[in-house]
This record gives sequence, C-alpha cells and structure tokens, in this order.
Amino acid sequence: MPATTRHNVQQHGLADGAPMVFSHGFGCDQNMWRHVWPAFAQDHRVILFDHLGHGGSDRAAFDPERYATLEGYAADVLEICHELDLRDVVFVGHSVSAMIGGLAAAAEPDRFARLVMIGPSARYIDDADGGYTGGFTAGDIDGLLASLESNYLGWSSTMAPVIMGNEDRPELGTELTNTFCATDPAIAHHFARVTFLSDNRADLARVPTRSLVLQCAADVIAPTAVGEYVHAHLPDSELVMMAATGHCPNLSAPAETIAAIRSFLSS
Amino acid sequence: VSGGWAEELFEDAPCGYVTAALDGTILRVNRTLEALLDRPRGELVGRRFQELLTVGGRIYHETHYAPLLAMAGTAREIAVDLVRGDGATVPALITSVVQGDVVRTIVFEAADRRRYEQELVRARDRERAIAGELQRGLLRGELPRDPALDVGVAYLPAVSGLEIGGDWYDAFWLDERRVGLVVGDVVGRGIAAGTTMGELRSAVRALASTGLAPGALLEALDGYARRHGVGAMTTLAVGELDLATGRLALACAGHPPPAIVQPGAPPAFDWGGRSTPLDAAPASGARPQIELALEPGATVVFFTDGVFERVDRPLHTGLDHLLELVDRHRALPAGELAEAVTHDALAGRRTTDDVCLLALRWTG
Repeated sequence: MPATTRHNVQQHGLADGAPMVFSHGFGCDQNMWRHVWPAFAQDHRVILFDHLGHGGSDRAAFDPERYATLEGYAADVLEICHELDLRDVVFVGHSVSAMIGGLAAAAEPDRFARLVMIGPSARYIDDADGGYTGGFTAGDIDGLLASLESNYLGWSSTMAPVIMGNEDRPELGTELTNTFCATDPAIAHHFARVTFLSDNRADLARVPTRSLVLQCAADVIAPTAVGEYVHAHLPDSELVMMAATGHCPNLSAPAETIAAIRSFLSS
Repeated sequence: VSGGWAEELFEDAPCGYVTAALDGTILRVNRTLEALLDRPRGELVGRRFQELLTVGGRIYHETHYAPLLAMAGTAREIAVDLVRGDGATVPALITSVVQGDVVRTIVFEAADRRRYEQELVRARDRERAIAGELQRGLLRGELPRDPALDVGVAYLPAVSGLEIGGDWYDAFWLDERRVGLVVGDVVGRGIAAGTTMGELRSAVRALASTGLAPGALLEALDGYARRHGVGAMTTLAVGELDLATGRLALACAGHPPPAIVQPGAPPAFDWGGRSTPLDAAPASGARPQIELALEPGATVVFFTDGVFERVDRPLHTGLDHLLELVDRHRALPAGELAEAVTHDALAGRRTTDDVCLLALRWTG
C-alpha cells in the first residue's frame, strides 16, 4: 500500500506551489490544522496526513517494532515526501511531530527548506543528572497512561453517538468520531509511551534546517524552558514567544500561529 | 424566580460547577466543588482548571480534552483525577460545553465507577493471561533435537480478541530415526477453535504412534472427525521424515502445500499428496501421499494461510511472494528462517488470522 494511502494524505492549494507538510501531534489527527492550512493554500501545495493509528490511517499497518522510536514516524514522513516527490519542503510539526520533523530533516537535510516546530520538546522527562528539566517525572507518564486507559473505556461506546448527535454541525460529528473514536487505544497507548519516554536532545545538533520554534505561554506539555532548550541546541533557529496559552495554538490561536509562520517563511 | 433560588441551585447542586475562560482560567465555582476539593473558592478562582488535575490528567487535558472542546464545543464524560487541598485525589467524570467565551463544566465524583472500571481492566488482563496459558498448554511439547535435523517455528495467534488460535504445529519422534511433522488450521478462532485444535493435535499424535503413514493417518483422522463431530473443514499437512535417508512422506488435507528447498535449486511448492479438508462433503476416498527424497541440507517449510493470505492481493501473489521470502532467508537456521519469513510476509501488518510456520532442515 502506498504511504499516501496508508497515511490518508490530503492535498490542497497550488499543485505546483512550494510544498508545505503539516504533521499532527499525539492525541489528534490532521484535523488539528483545519484553521491553519487554508491560509497557506493560496501560495503553497498543502499536504496533510495522519500518523499511523490516528484518523484515517491504515491501522492494520501498525508495527510496534517500527514505531518503537520516533524514527519510525520520521521514516513515514520521508516516505510520503518520496512518493509525492516533494523537495524544498516546509515542514510544520505540532508537539511530538516537531521532533519527528527534526529527525526527518536530519536524515535527509536536502529535502527540507524550513522547519516549523510548534511546542517542541527534546525530552519530556526531567534528567537531574544532565541538569535538564523536561517538566515531567516517569510517574507522571504512568498517570497519563492510566488516564488514557480510563478514557478509552468510554470513547467507543459513549463518545461516538454523543458527537454524532451534534446535528447542527454534522461535519464536526463525523470528523471527531474519526479523530477520537477511531484512534486505536492500543496504538495511542504505544504512541504515548514512545513520545513521552523519548530523548532526542542529541539529535537537535543534527538538524541543519533553518527552524522556527513557536513557544506558547503556560504550556504544561512543553514549558518555556524546554522551548528555549530546543532553540539553543538547534544549529539554525529562531524562537518566537506566543501570546497564546496552552499546547495547541493551531486550534486556540490560529491567526497568531499563521502570522508567525508567514513572517518566518518570508524572512 | 428569585435570585436567591437560582443561587441556591447553583451553589448546592449535587455536582460541582466550574465556569472558566477559554484558556481554562477559573472564573467561578460552586460550593459543592469547594467541598469536593476541600479548597475554598479563593484558592480556585484565577487558577487554570487543568492545574486541578493530576499531571497525567493535565497531559490528557492538553492533548485530547482541550482540542476536543476547541473543535466540537463539547466534551462529555471524561475521566479525570482531581487533586484535593490535602493532596489526595478524587476520581471524577467531567462534562464541558463552550458557551460564547466561557467553558462550563460539571464535575461528578466517580470513585465507585472508577473502581469498577479498574476491576474490568483487571478482569480483561486476567482473561488474556488465561488465554495465553491455555494456548501454550495446547501447543506443549519440545521440538525434536538431533544432529541431522534443525526444526524451528513461528507462531502468532490473531491479535484481536482472546489470543487463542486455531492454528497448530507439532514435531515429535515416531521412533528412534523418524520424526512426525504437522501443521494444521482449525476453522475459526478463540476458545472453541483452540480446544478443537488441542483435541486434533492429540489425536494426530496418538494415531501417528500406531505406525500409520501420513495418508492413512489422515484417513483415520477424518473418521475421528466424523464420528465425534469435531474439526470439520480443518486443513492440515502431515509429514514423516526418515533422518537416516532423507525420505519425506507427505499428505495434505486441503492445506497449503509445503515449500521445498533442495540445495542449489529455487524453492518450489509440492502440490502432490493432496485431498480435501477433514470431514468435508463429499467425503474423501483414500487420501494419497507422496514421497520426496530430500538432499542433505534441504529445507521444508510448512505454513498456514495466515502467512500469505491478505485481502489486498490475490492468493497466488501471496504464495509467489512467500517463495521469494523463503529463498531470501534459505541460508538461515530453521528457527531464524521461520521468524524472518513470517516477519517479512506480514510486513508489519497485524493480521486478523492466526499465523503459523514450521521450518525443518535435514542436514543428512
């Protein structure tokens, strides 16, 4: 099966425009970009996709070994780029996908023109010996896994009909059922472990691509110190502190997100 | 309606109420929530709602709950743990709706429900452990070890549901120089298929010990299946290898043919010695068998259809592909060959069918 099918690749905008790949983070799918990508469709070839196990991806293709590290997810990004013959790619990655883009760019630097990292983290768990604060302890991650377990009990039977019943905005119902109810709980659990136990600090130096680090205020997933660390260790990056709070400015502050990316791309 | 009545309803409702800004900053809470959290409202108002959650819950909030609220405007029956003033946690279910520029959330304590969920999870884990133990018991038995023989298997029960498969393999001594080899596939999966598999596996072992050759053994097993109403439409391949001569007798009841890899030659399926599945209508007459002369170093690969059958391609494509994989890994020891061929054949796909592959090499 081609990677474009496996990952439910959707394309918009100018067929011969500069390619812009949007990559969603843990917990969601390509719908996370709904308020952002349209702003770039006028002058870019926009490529959206779902990581394996999420949204409309082919769940049967999930291989725990291949996806035991973020490199497996980065390999998928590269496969999509190869299949679509994308060059000079602008890669926009949210959350863990920022690092996935970094790994892809480190593996094939010539393929990427710019990297936009929204709420990146090189390591989520504190490393006292290394003098690094990621924001979490190993016990916190166990708490997250328990939380996932508890909530997925309800997703399939409860969430789907509730959201499907959202009749005044039926298009939302369909999308959200796909997003949150079709995400395989076992894969979500696996992805959470791989994401939050990853340590990619040493990889940052291998990312030669000009990068933008977008840092939100009061982001519990990727605190400001973490964004500053990523910025300081990337060979060629700029850091933009956003007024938006939380971890998902692509949803909560799309205008500010779009403006920051536009400004970076035109610099 | 007086303000006092509405006020009382809000403050003393049988659930906690939170009104927050879109970024989670708490604007107002009710008395029930104060009591539930053992915190006065002065400690709550002005903080962000997610700060009331355990850290794991906060991650969940940021990665699932907040996006859901932003996209759908509502999130229902989310399980969280709230942190009380004294540091203890309260299991709760929360439901939120976005109304204009505020988020309204109701909070129900759900300690009993959470305990019940945890019991369900434990029961599920226990069920899986039992299934695994049953599976291992059904396939019990050491593979024969001999200087002239190398046998290896790869076995993957279907991943969905209980991990009990209807596929089986077996390899056992018939006497001091001959080894019996079996790979079979019972229709269906789960407990029923697993117990049928165990019964047929034992029956094959018992019949083989009476000295029946593979064809005659299948006839006897067919009779057993009919008499006892067990294992209709099961397919299996039975082999008998003479370690002194390399003579391999083979019979296949509706089962995919084994791949034969003679030294210096490309792998090929042997389509001889075939008859219908067990207890199929119309009944098979005599069940033929064939005899092959293995050359020293030859490899034989028995397998079930889960290895090559995929919905997204024709059967013969899968069989051709399997031969290529056997060829690619033919130099490996039998155990590694079995693992490598199975791994590559599935190509990372999780299969909904059982997968079983037995490889043997006769070293002469």
